[in-house]
Formats: sequence, structure tokens, C-alpha cells
Amino acid sequence: MSIITEIIETLKKTPPARLLTFLALTGALFIFPQAVDSPYALHIMILVFLSVIMGGSWNILGGYTGQYSVGHAAYFGAGAYATMMMMQFREIPPWFGMLAGVAAAIAAGLIIGSICFRLRGPYFVLASIAATEIMRLSALNLKDLTNGAEGILATEIPPLSIGSALITDFSSKAPFYYIGLVFALAIIGVTWLVQHSKLGYCFQAIREDQDAAHSLGINPGMYKQLSLTISAAFTSLAGSFYAVYIGFIDPTTVLSLDMSVQIVLICIIGGIGTIFGPVVGAMVLVPLSEALRSNLITQTLISAGLVSEESPVGQFLKENLAHAHVLIYGILVVVVILFMPEGVLGFLRKRLAERGSKTA
Amino acid sequence: MDSSSLQPLLLFLQSLISGILVGGVYALIGIGLTIIFGVMRIINFAHGDIMMIGMYLTYNLFTLAGIDPFLSIVVCIPLMFLFGGLLQKVFINRVLNALPQNQILLTIGLGLIMSNTMMLIYTSDYKILTTEYSSGSFSLMGLSISQPLAISFVITAVITAFLYWFLMKTDMGQAIRATAQDRQAAQLMGINVKRMSIIAFGLGAALAGTAGALIAPTYYIFPQIGSSFTLKAFVITVLGGMGSVIGATLGGILIGIAESLGAVYISSGWKEVLVYVIFLLALLFKPSGLLGKSRM
Repeated sequence: MSIITEIIETLKKTPPARLLTFLALTGALFIFPQAVDSPYALHIMILVFLSVIMGGSWNILGGYTGQYSVGHAAYFGAGAYATMMMMQFREIPPWFGMLAGVAAAIAAGLIIGSICFRLRGPYFVLASIAATEIMRLSALNLKDLTNGAEGILATEIPPLSIGSALITDFSSKAPFYYIGLVFALAIIGVTWLVQHSKLGYCFQAIREDQDAAHSLGINPGMYKQLSLTISAAFTSLAGSFYAVYIGFIDPTTVLSLDMSVQIVLICIIGGIGTIFGPVVGAMVLVPLSEALRSNLITQTLISAGLVSEESPVGQFLKENLAHAHVLIYGILVVVVILFMPEGVLGFLRKRLAERGSKTA
Repeated sequence: MDSSSLQPLLLFLQSLISGILVGGVYALIGIGLTIIFGVMRIINFAHGDIMMIGMYLTYNLFTLAGIDPFLSIVVCIPLMFLFGGLLQKVFINRVLNALPQNQILLTIGLGLIMSNTMMLIYTSDYKILTTEYSSGSFSLMGLSISQPLAISFVITAVITAFLYWFLMKTDMGQAIRATAQDRQAAQLMGINVKRMSIIAFGLGAALAGTAGALIAPTYYIFPQIGSSFTLKAFVITVLGGMGSVIGATLGGILIGIAESLGAVYISSGWKEVLVYVIFLLALLFKPSGLLGKSRM
């Protein structure tokens, strides 16, 4: 009960305008699929939600507790594999697979955490990468269990029904949209709770100065593990969601270092340790990388007359730029680290504050 | 003794030798990483990608100009040195005092740019550099030794010896070591720390690029090969002790042996798992490495 009163107390302190904006935006997002009848727009939104869940869950551990895990693909992969293995090989609906994934991710988090949390700084980063690589190589080698490098292809998603009432058969993108939206709102809510709760204060104390926090009676090992547990559980949900939505997983996509880096980048680009950082990061990254993937950028360059379609450069861009959508991640992270080390959100806030102080 | 009882021993020695030969090149990659870490306390996550650029450089020199891969290091070393120096001057220098995680992310970003740019230029197809001696081997005391691996090991040994002499005996080498020991004190002694950082990153990149040139005849060449070597380089440097050149040499050879024996006695699929398990154990029980002083 104390948690609920605490929530209400904090909500009372939040400016009502901000609260109303948030509620209005959420409401708009719930109506969106009814208003917009474009599967592609829904697809982009679903990818944004997925990125919000990924970045938001990393944010709990990396942003609020200061533990820069570059191995979150481990938990993402645990969710994805648990769901797909149960759905494809045992015909168990993904809802149960998702829960199994969360359990697997928490278990993996316990093992990885007990090893990695003894280490600090770069050593922690390296250990988190190594642990995830062990998981990737295991998934690659345990062929009987995981299908190895071939990956798992979903043939059919069982329909969701409560009792005898069919709720959805997943024939359109709308159910995925709503599931993604609910998960994304959940992780934003959890982040908000973390920011305003005693638990969150302990996390942030460890981030600011682990030794000082320890001397004040905060057990760093326990709180880091708790933070990882929350983070791993939500990352695993993102993995399950990804697996069912995309319908195909293999070790080189869901358990790779690239996936871990991508999870971190969503957060870094938006602004780490902030509630809406991952949202901003997702809204920057997803459209950009989709624009590259779908050759939108090449087409724009050609139609703007900058590059002729027949010229070798135009041909080259047309054929290859789509394959290099990861390039944008690289360029963005370099730009963000060099020029906006607090992320897009922090950068904008600072700019606004500067402008405010000038006019004042 | 009949030959059948000799067989297991022969197999063991055979894999030991090939492990040591591969380990030599690993050592080169590890030494590069350890010099960069020693001087700047920055972990270079783009290290494997720099090596990958060295591979493509060698590949191009071979296919376009017909230069032998082992001769190409004469071109590769200075070019990669300049490339590394440039990276340091333009990017790394700006984050020397930033949070360690931001430094790591910057180098990760640079690595992504390198691998994806190469993918744009060369596509992600596997390239093979075939020389006359690519699959050649000679036999030594009943053991068959791969010719390209043996040549690359000899070159590695020469480079490592030269590097050690450079760091120990020359003025510039001593200045680099002084910077690594205490950046501020070195600056107070009149050492141009910024310049030493550029040289150190250049050296690291040159070593990684050279390693790339040396393995080009024996490995597939593709843009994403870097990340697995980056990880291997970390394992090697942590094992040897971050910042220790001799430690990295030892670590490289140890990892080469572990991989080679693991491939024979466990399975080639699991050999890399063995490497990471050794890595985690080393981090847990001997975090200062075999030869390094604890820096944790």
C-alpha cells in the first residue's frame, strides 16, 4: 500500500500540464491504428515501440544504476529463443513462452551478474560481452535444441482467445501494435517508478559513487542484481515480441554483439538516465535506419538531382546503401558522444535552458 | 614404439605448434591494444576493425598491384600508422577526459563506421587471397607446418623484438612508457603527451593492420571479421595484464594454443567458448593478468 500512496504523492507533485500532455499522447497512440490505415506506418510504430522497450530496459541498469552492460543481447536472445523454441517445437502459445523467456533471462542475469558485478568500469563491459558471446556460441552449437545457425522460422502464430472468445488471430499488424504499445508504456512506467522510488534512489546512489553508497549501508551487489533483474526481464519481453513479430531468429541477429550495441545506442542517443531518453532515441534511430533500409535516402538524393540515377555513384548507392543501415548507428554514436554527450534530450534541454536564461 | 602409440602425442604436438604459430599473430593484435590502453587508458573497441582494414589493404595491394601479402606490410605499416594517428587526433583526443563508457562507445561507433563503410565498398562477400603458398606446408621432425603461418610467425617475432627495443631503448619509446606510467608527471617532465598519444594510437593501429596483412592469406576476408578479433584482443590483453607488452605476447600465444587444442580435443564449434571461459576466469581470479600490475 505504501507504494501506491508514494505513487500518488509523486503524481501530485508532477506539473498537471505535463501529465495531461502525456495522457493525451498516450490516448492518441491508442487511436492511431483506427485513424491511419497503412500497414507500413504501423510497422514503423511497432519498431519504435520495440526500440523503446529495448532501450528503456537497458536504461534501468545502464542509465540509473550506472552498469554499462554491452551484453544485453543475452537477455533479448533468452526471450526470443524461449518463445520461439516453445512455439515451434512444442506448439506452446507465445504467451507462455514469453513468461518462460522472462524466467530464463532472470536466471541468466543471476549467473552473469554474479560474475560481472564484481568488476568495474571497462572490465565490467568486457565481462558482459564475453558472457553474451558464450550464450551466442552455445545457441550456435546446441543444434538439437536451437536449430543452430539455421535459426528458427515461425510457421504460424496460434490465435489468442480467452475462454471461447477469439480476441485476435494476428492476421493484421494492429494486435502487435497494441502489445508493443502496452509493453512500451509499461517500461516507461517502471522507469518513472525507479526514478521516484527509494529503490531507484539506491540505484542512483550506486551509479554516482558505489563506495560511498556502500558506506551508507546500501548493498551494491544486491541492488545491482535487482536492477539487472528488472532490466533483463523487460529486455526478454522485447526479445519475445521481436521473435513473434519478425517470425525468424538466429544467433547472429538476436544474440550478437551488434544487438547489444544497438540496445545501448537507443539509450545513449536519446539521453541516458532519463525517462524519455529511450523514446527519443527510438524516434531518431528507427526512422533513420528504415529510411536507409528502404532506399529512401538514395531516392531522395536522386530526385533532388544531387546524384544522377544512371551514374556509377547512383547505381552504387542504389545497390549498396540499403545494406549499410548500421552505418547510421556508427555515425550517430560518434556525433552524439563528441557533441552531445548527454544525448539528444540532454542537448535540447541544455539549449532550452540557455535560451531561457538569455531571455530572462 | 610403434606408430599407433605415437599418434596421440603427434596430434598433440601438431596442434600445439599450430596454436603457437597462430598465437604469434594474436599477440601482435594484443600488443597494439595494450599499448593504446597503457598510454591513454582507453579500450579500443575498433581494434579488430582496424585489423580488418589492414586485411583489405593487403587484399587490394595483391589483386591490383600483385604485391605479395607478406611484402605488403612495408606499405601497410606506415599507412595504418597514419590512419591510427589521424583517428587519435580527430576523435579519441576529444574524449580523453570523458567517462570511460563514452570512450568505449566512441570506439564502438568508429568500428561500426569502418566495417559498414568497407561493406559499402566491397559488399559483405567473403574474399579469399590465394597465393602459391597459401595451402603450402613443410614438415619438421614429422610435424607438418603451414607455410603462411610459419612466415607470419617469423615476421611477428621480428616486429615484436623491434618494438620491444624501440620502447626500451629509444628516447621516444621511453617517453611513451613515461606517459603510460604517469601522464601528468610525464607532461611536467616536458614530454609532449598529446604527441605521444598520437604515436601510441598510430603504433597500435599499425600493429593491428600488420596482423591483418599477415593473416590475409589464411583467413576469409569480410567486413564483419573485426569484432571477433576485437574480443580476442581483449582476452589476450586482460590475460597478459593490461598495458604489458610481454604479457600480451604471452597471452596471444596462450590463446592460440587454447583455441588449437580446444578445436582438436573438444570441437571446433566450442573452441571459442573455451577462450571466453578462460577470459571470465582470469577476470575473476587474476584480474591484474599474468604480468600486469593491478589497475582496478
